[in-house]
Amino acid sequence: MAGLALPRPRRQLIARRRHREHVLIWTLLLPALAIFLLFRILPLIWNLWLSFQYWEPGKPSRFAGLEHYQEMVLFDDVFWEALWNTFKYMATAPLAILLALALALLVDRPIRGRNVYRTIIFLSYPLTVVAVGVIWRWLYDEKVGLINFVLRELGLIDEPIRFLETYATALPSVIVAAIWQIVGFFMIILLTGLQSIPPHLYEAAAVDGVPRSAQFFRITLPLLRPSLFLCFVIGIIASFTSFDLIYTMTGGGPGHATELLVTYVYKVAFGRTEFDYAAAVTMVMFSLFLGLALLGNWLAGGDAGRIEVSE
Amino acid sequence: MNRRRSAFPVHLALAAVSLVMLVPFYWVVKTSITGENIFAYPPSLLPVEPHLFYYVDAWYTIPFPRYLFNSVVVAAMVILANLVFNAAAGYALTKSFPGKRWIILLLLACMMIPFHATIIPAYLVTGRLGLLNTHLGLALPAFSHIICIFVFKANFDAIPASLVQAARIDGVPESRILLKVILPLAKPAVATNLILSFIWSWNDFLWPLIITRDQAMQTLPLGLSAFLAQFEDATGALYAFCVMVLAPGLLVFLLAQKEFIRGLTSGARKG
Repeated sequence: MAGLALPRPRRQLIARRRHREHVLIWTLLLPALAIFLLFRILPLIWNLWLSFQYWEPGKPSRFAGLEHYQEMVLFDDVFWEALWNTFKYMATAPLAILLALALALLVDRPIRGRNVYRTIIFLSYPLTVVAVGVIWRWLYDEKVGLINFVLRELGLIDEPIRFLETYATALPSVIVAAIWQIVGFFMIILLTGLQSIPPHLYEAAAVDGVPRSAQFFRITLPLLRPSLFLCFVIGIIASFTSFDLIYTMTGGGPGHATELLVTYVYKVAFGRTEFDYAAAVTMVMFSLFLGLALLGNWLAGGDAGRIEVSE
Repeated sequence: MNRRRSAFPVHLALAAVSLVMLVPFYWVVKTSITGENIFAYPPSLLPVEPHLFYYVDAWYTIPFPRYLFNSVVVAAMVILANLVFNAAAGYALTKSFPGKRWIILLLLACMMIPFHATIIPAYLVTGRLGLLNTHLGLALPAFSHIICIFVFKANFDAIPASLVQAARIDGVPESRILLKVILPLAKPAVATNLILSFIWSWNDFLWPLIITRDQAMQTLPLGLSAFLAQFEDATGALYAFCVMVLAPGLLVFLLAQKEFIRGLTSGARKG
């Protein structure tokens, strides 16, 4: 390279400047990296290790092998119920995505006031989830809840329904609240996807006389695939992280009807102080999450939720 | 797309959905200012004898100012740290250096680790650091958000290199270039960082629930949850409290909607 032709002092200067720059780069990276090492990487490894140990507060831990996993799979009915509920809770994703897709198509049209509609529909997303839980508890209230009141006024039911206290209705009721909160977010993601579809594709199709329904299935849906799967992955993440809503609305009850893996981990760890067993449940939860997220990513063509990485 | 069709059915559908989205807000505000017994049946659709008594009640019967103070302190720490850490890391990632590929891979991998999957060791780590039940302990895990680092990186990448080059030829030191040339051009990323880290910190619940032990350190969502646990839904003050928790977040969101949405969809947008 040209550098070889330079006189020696100049070369040294460049080398020294490059060295200084590298020091600066690593200094700038260090604070953020320290946080991720401390609160992501280290906990993940620690958690894995903990799941193979007998652990009690203030005592040295002992090796337990697969004891906790064995107990979980063979004897722990609550674990299985929480696992099953986590899968059911994932139904939030497809339902909310369908609704969000319809809404995105509507607010993408050149109608008046579409920005107002967008804001209103998105408004529930940034809310404090605990407050959302309080609001929906009140809406579902047996005596004076708005939902029971409307259903009774319409003559759809005779007796008020105890939505959150009944085994069969508790989980679906929480899912409705979850959809209410997340649908606006999905709508915005899908809208961004819709707007990135080049309009000349539709123009060409219209010139060729392609019917609108065919345009939707042949142009819109295929090009929207990455956005749709991004929503799907976010929905999966939500089913593993919806702690706040469950905790506030039902506390996992009645019985364990709305127990998710994440609420179960919390109860085992911080209610019963069984960190070791909770760590094992966490590992199952995390592996499941990772598997599903990677699957979703792969189905989306490998780039859902990816940030372009240019070097 | 198709302007010839009547917009009326579209408006009708959107208005219906908007109603469903807004009714819960209305219902909680209505309850919080209802003067009568909130358990009267049938519930009135309009507030009866509206007053603000429940708000006064909530302010004084629970340590609302204390919760508010904690929430504000933690949010301020999180916002400040995010701005500094993410801007620094985002800037470093615009440079080429050995090991950069691995750092980016590491960050992307970390994005796949939900905080919920690390709560137990995160609690133990915070305990070892002696930060349980402190403001710093509440804020520390949220000191940097990976998505925000990439928001900064994208913003820095969009700044014309010639501008930085010119400053460098003039002999301006790197650190001053960063502060005086690049940061002022990164206002959109700063805004996005500010909004996202504020909202996430403001709404955070699980982490404060785990690491705070006494009421003096609790944040607003935690206070709301504790209030609910204590009184069930027996009093209108709960809903006044609820409105007061929601108001700041909603206000910030309405003021900075564009930045908020840009941050959230930065992962969705391609190219």
